[in-house]
Amino acid sequence: MTSPLKINARMQDSARLRRILAGTLLVLGLISPACAEVILPALTTSQLDPALKGQVLIEELNCVACHRGDASLVARSKKAPRLADLGARVNPKYLAAFLHDPQGTKPGTTMPDMPTSLTSADRQPVALALTHFLLSVKTNDFSLQPPDAVAAQQGQRLFHSRGCAACHSPRDARGQELLPKTSVPLGALEGKYSFKSLTAFLRQPLLHRPSGRMPDLRLAGAEVERIAHYLLQDTRVPGPLAYTLYRGQVWEGLSSEHVRAERAGIVADFSLSSLGKVEHHTAIRYEGWMNLTNGGRYTFFLKMNGGSLSIDGKDLVRQDPSDRRGPKELEGGADLAAGWRRVQVTYFHTGYDPEFSLEMAGPGGVRQRIPSSMLSISPEPIPVLEPFVVKPELAARGREHFGKLGCANCHDDLAVPAAPATALAKLDSARGCLSGTPGPWPRFDLSTEQRDWIARALPWAEQLQLDARQQVDKTLVTFNCIACHERAGLGGIAPERKGLFTGTQPSLGDQGLLPPPLSHVGAKLKSEAIAAVLLRGQRPRGYVETSMPQFGEANVGELVKLFGQVDHLEAVEFPAVANLQESRNAGHEMIGTAGLGCILCHEFNGQRSGEVGALDLVTVAERLQKNWFHLYLRQPARFHPNVIMPSYWPDGESVRPNILGGNTAQQIEALWIYLADGGRARKPLGLSRQANELRVGDLTEICRGRSPVGYRGIGVGYPERIHLIFDAEEMALRQLWKGEFANVDLGSFHPRGTDTVPFPPGIPFHRLKSLEDSWPYKGRNNYPFPQDHGYQFRGYHLDAQRRPTFRYQYGDIAVKDYFEDVRDPDGRAYFRRTLRFESAAEPLPFYFRAAAGKSVRAHTDRHFEIERLHVRITSDHPGIVRDGNPAEVLLPLKLSAGHTTLTLEYQW
Amino acid sequence: MVSKSNWRGLAALTLTLTLTSRVYGDEDLGAMWGTAAEEAKYYPIVNLPIPLGVPMRPGGLEILPDGRLAVGTRRGDIYLIRGAWDSPPNPEYHLFASGQDEIFSLAWKDGALTTTTWGEVTRISDADGDGVADRYDTLTSNWGYAEGHEFAFASKHDPAGNIWVALGLSGSYESHNLFRGWAVKVTPEGKMIPVCSGLRSPGGVGPNAEGVMFAIESQGPWNGCCSLKHLKEGGFLGHPASYNWYPFVPGMKAPALEPNSNSRMGIEKKRVKELVPPAVKFPYIKMGRSISGFRVNRTGGKFGPFENQIFLGDYSLSLIMRATTEQINGVWQGACYPFREGLSTGIMNVEFSPRGQLIAGGFTTSSQWPVRGTEPFALQRIDWSGVVPFETQEINIRKDGFRITFTQPVDPKIAAQPETYAITTYTHVYDAGYGSPEVDPTTAHVTSAVPAPDGLSVEVHLEKIVEDHIHDFDLSRVRSRGGRRLVHSKAYYTVNEIPKD
Repeated sequence: MTSPLKINARMQDSARLRRILAGTLLVLGLISPACAEVILPALTTSQLDPALKGQVLIEELNCVACHRGDASLVARSKKAPRLADLGARVNPKYLAAFLHDPQGTKPGTTMPDMPTSLTSADRQPVALALTHFLLSVKTNDFSLQPPDAVAAQQGQRLFHSRGCAACHSPRDARGQELLPKTSVPLGALEGKYSFKSLTAFLRQPLLHRPSGRMPDLRLAGAEVERIAHYLLQDTRVPGPLAYTLYRGQVWEGLSSEHVRAERAGIVADFSLSSLGKVEHHTAIRYEGWMNLTNGGRYTFFLKMNGGSLSIDGKDLVRQDPSDRRGPKELEGGADLAAGWRRVQVTYFHTGYDPEFSLEMAGPGGVRQRIPSSMLSISPEPIPVLEPFVVKPELAARGREHFGKLGCANCHDDLAVPAAPATALAKLDSARGCLSGTPGPWPRFDLSTEQRDWIARALPWAEQLQLDARQQVDKTLVTFNCIACHERAGLGGIAPERKGLFTGTQPSLGDQGLLPPPLSHVGAKLKSEAIAAVLLRGQRPRGYVETSMPQFGEANVGELVKLFGQVDHLEAVEFPAVANLQESRNAGHEMIGTAGLGCILCHEFNGQRSGEVGALDLVTVAERLQKNWFHLYLRQPARFHPNVIMPSYWPDGESVRPNILGGNTAQQIEALWIYLADGGRARKPLGLSRQANELRVGDLTEICRGRSPVGYRGIGVGYPERIHLIFDAEEMALRQLWKGEFANVDLGSFHPRGTDTVPFPPGIPFHRLKSLEDSWPYKGRNNYPFPQDHGYQFRGYHLDAQRRPTFRYQYGDIAVKDYFEDVRDPDGRAYFRRTLRFESAAEPLPFYFRAAAGKSVRAHTDRHFEIERLHVRITSDHPGIVRDGNPAEVLLPLKLSAGHTTLTLEYQW
Repeated sequence: MVSKSNWRGLAALTLTLTLTSRVYGDEDLGAMWGTAAEEAKYYPIVNLPIPLGVPMRPGGLEILPDGRLAVGTRRGDIYLIRGAWDSPPNPEYHLFASGQDEIFSLAWKDGALTTTTWGEVTRISDADGDGVADRYDTLTSNWGYAEGHEFAFASKHDPAGNIWVALGLSGSYESHNLFRGWAVKVTPEGKMIPVCSGLRSPGGVGPNAEGVMFAIESQGPWNGCCSLKHLKEGGFLGHPASYNWYPFVPGMKAPALEPNSNSRMGIEKKRVKELVPPAVKFPYIKMGRSISGFRVNRTGGKFGPFENQIFLGDYSLSLIMRATTEQINGVWQGACYPFREGLSTGIMNVEFSPRGQLIAGGFTTSSQWPVRGTEPFALQRIDWSGVVPFETQEINIRKDGFRITFTQPVDPKIAAQPETYAITTYTHVYDAGYGSPEVDPTTAHVTSAVPAPDGLSVEVHLEKIVEDHIHDFDLSRVRSRGGRRLVHSKAYYTVNEIPKD
């Protein structure tokens, strides 16, 4: 193959030929189409002055490492990654490939390529020698760990929501980078890092990259691991069998919304012991390939509560799980050809005395477990990562190259003497590495525009005299702060990235999603508050999911002071307060619900009154400058065009003219005085929400809406002081209680009282195919339920005491469901329930679930005790008990055409 | 209550109130139109007293055949009120029904009040004639309701007896439950028929003067500002979160394409053929921030000059606006006009009384959206004083401009000068992000203006009408024959289509 670089150098004058060549190289996969240049996103997205952009480039490319210059420039310039521990961090293969072709391996990287004067024949051995050298420095024990697909899926969300994707490209579902041109490049990480080395890096990024361009996101350990699993999900490690472990109500099957994948990985075989302790209500899905030496008849023997076995996508055994029985012996067979056969086994660890075994009998007839040696996660061999053996003579040669090629100039932690170049002061931007011509200098892939920026900045790069504003701007661009924060005149979140920012309080609008703007921040926050966020990881906005990273005090510490120097707002004349206590009291009044109701949206000392939990008010005086507080409250929208906080002093006029004479300045000052007490401030009025009790008199009372049983609850309070909730969603009795009825708010109610008897969710009538089947209920995702089971709610009619008769349809059967509060001879109140069924034709038999709970005891076939609830059937409809989770009282019903009446009593 | 857009709006309102004009240009429109004192000369506001102990947070309003006002409340009660039309009002409240979920809409037909609450459409009647409801017959509850923003606002009965219901999204961003983001109609037999997808956080539902069904929509994702949307059968109304329910609608197929974000409605409606552009857009803050229930004025002139026009409230800004619609090239569009500000609470709904008064009711919420009016709840009446205000009656589009109709003759000399009409245009980014600034601004060049001989209308010719743009009319230079200024000098026409002839 011809060397692309050589051709490139020879043909460089012919633009046309270059284009053709580029096409050829693309086809050959030698260079990447997206990037022929260094990518520093903020240079593209910011409105920074071009000369300053050049300065940023000079610092980011660490020009001063070769072209010696002023110490302040050295201090400002980005240090290259520390390489001493490279052997434990990076895959040797990646290292060799990257050294051979940095831009091709990681398009957009700031790492320069070898000098273009090196011939193609030279490059390969140089790269190899460098690799041997770098891996000789310290331990060289890089190893791969298998990915966890479950963690990777969670990691995908975290990568995009925590802020990684603010600088690095967001990815589509297949992992394809969506915005490579405006993102800090990552390259294909699965070839570079192992799970172990990437998590170590993400936990302490500044350890090996001290300049903080990759900041510390301060994420929880589990989050770091999930992100690492996501970024490395294409890592291939050989192994016998892949598994995914699920937990939850697995007896309903893996598709149940109450089942969640917990972890995934590789195990040796189908023995449960290789998974550690397996809890009850776990499911495991095994996937792999089995290498059969001989073709012929194979029979599989399984013992399990439920699960399935399929070979090459064909089901051989399938048994639905049930929590209502023990394991079953199952068998299935198939004629299988020799070679690799795809195996999938799903096992439900559920029911009584759960156990699992899988045995196979081949054409030879011996029945045995499938040994690990027959299994592989892939039919194609997956190469094992061989340990890299350092050859001392190559390492020695590599060390020479490392010095001569200039690597040591930037990577100055290996004690290799550096090779100085022309001093910065004497540089001519038309020559050398900036000229674009080949020569014995490192090759920087810079665009014409980038070269131009550097050329503009070079003359004064050393004696840089930036004012505070320019320093702020340059720092915000260098660290790409504007990827997350708006700063007026400089830039902010790119429109195509805005959707990545998420929050847990969507009702706060953009302010609940986006990191706060930095415009005026120096005139807004006290410098200690800026330092707390910037340098000490404080996060006042817990609802913003993006993490505020830590860039290192040495790198960004100056911003604390600079913001204060740059940002100025007009000074407010604070009003004189004659009576401090009066003012504080007025502040207290205004914060509460009887005043301005600030606490309805803002948290107060960690306590929330409304649905919105905006910034905690007790930290206001600690964080904010008083001047800004006055300005902000008068015109919140001045500082956030999309602010959701209203102005309570529109046009300077207070909306509460009765407080402190309606004086705007005095009112704002009063709020400040009150809030200055911080967490010790007197608790504002209305901090805890008060609901209205609905009392029952001589007539039945009804309330509807959001309730403990769901959004379509109907609470009915009866004069005998016994009450119930009927769920209009599932047409089912869901709760009984005694005493006080309920607190009723707008659109919701909550039972009061005592002696609560809950019933599990689920429709009242169902045609069970088998007594092992689960009783259906409306989950989150079975959208047409229960209409798809023939149900339709038709409302209720009230009797003279306003007791409702619920009306609903079950298929062709019209149901009237009436509860009456009555007293037994001892004066104890109970419910008498009458169900009237009407059907034109004779319906198919079905079960009525009269009650359910943790345990059921049958006194007779008409009297059941469920914990403390007694259910007595008073019509001729005997019931049965079905054990399980929950245990149930089921009445098999076979109705004739016309009317049928079923009566029963609930007493507790 | 109402949509999230409220939040931002009130905030942005304060923006315009103040000196800052960074976002909304140099117009001095502000929270207050500043016209309340003038408006009061023609349309005084009358408070309907509410007795202590009546938790009157009105959601649905209806007029009964016997002339009583029926009010359905957030607490789930229905009150029947006699004496609300008298001056001064002397209302007597009668509790007709209770125990319901929050009531958003109320409609009378055939001896029953039909309510729409979060979870269902219910026909409520009094079978034993004791004046208190005893039958609560659920017509349908077949849409998903499992989240606190999943509002359901409904129309009165259409001529076929159907109730049309507009179902808000889950969390006002996504569609997690069945038919969230759709409009459905519910037949008198209780059958629910899905009509169209693509709503976000709709409010009031009802017909325009021609009987075609519309719903109001709130500013937010895929909605640059609040709007009045045509509930076109089979249509897609702009927010794609509700695409996932097409498989649940027999005989309706999901649009082949999804709209692109960061685009323009004018571009996307050509790509996505089901996309129905909003008929009347209400520029944010200038014309409300959270528009709510509406009603067509059919008072036969008892409410003054605006017969057959749509009157609608705004929750956050506590005001009433007007709107007119017309169908051009098969697509609905039209204009909105300021009408009355300074109501005392967040307006949820409006209704016309038998005497031609406009009833407005609503509340502020205890926990969320801020409202300009400070009363926790109120029922108010706007009466016409009998004096015709000098107002823009209506704006209609022509192939080469607009016809502006006025309530009183204009000064012909001033009206014939092109510079009398300051018309700017702009549109919104059609975008998955929240709301939109006004973008792509242009200034229309008025080539000529021709007043009609009676002075009641002017044909204003433009060099170019910009499709997909709001045409923002500043008519402050117009004078009546007596030299008076317009009570409201602003009007906003949404151009979806330009007439071909």
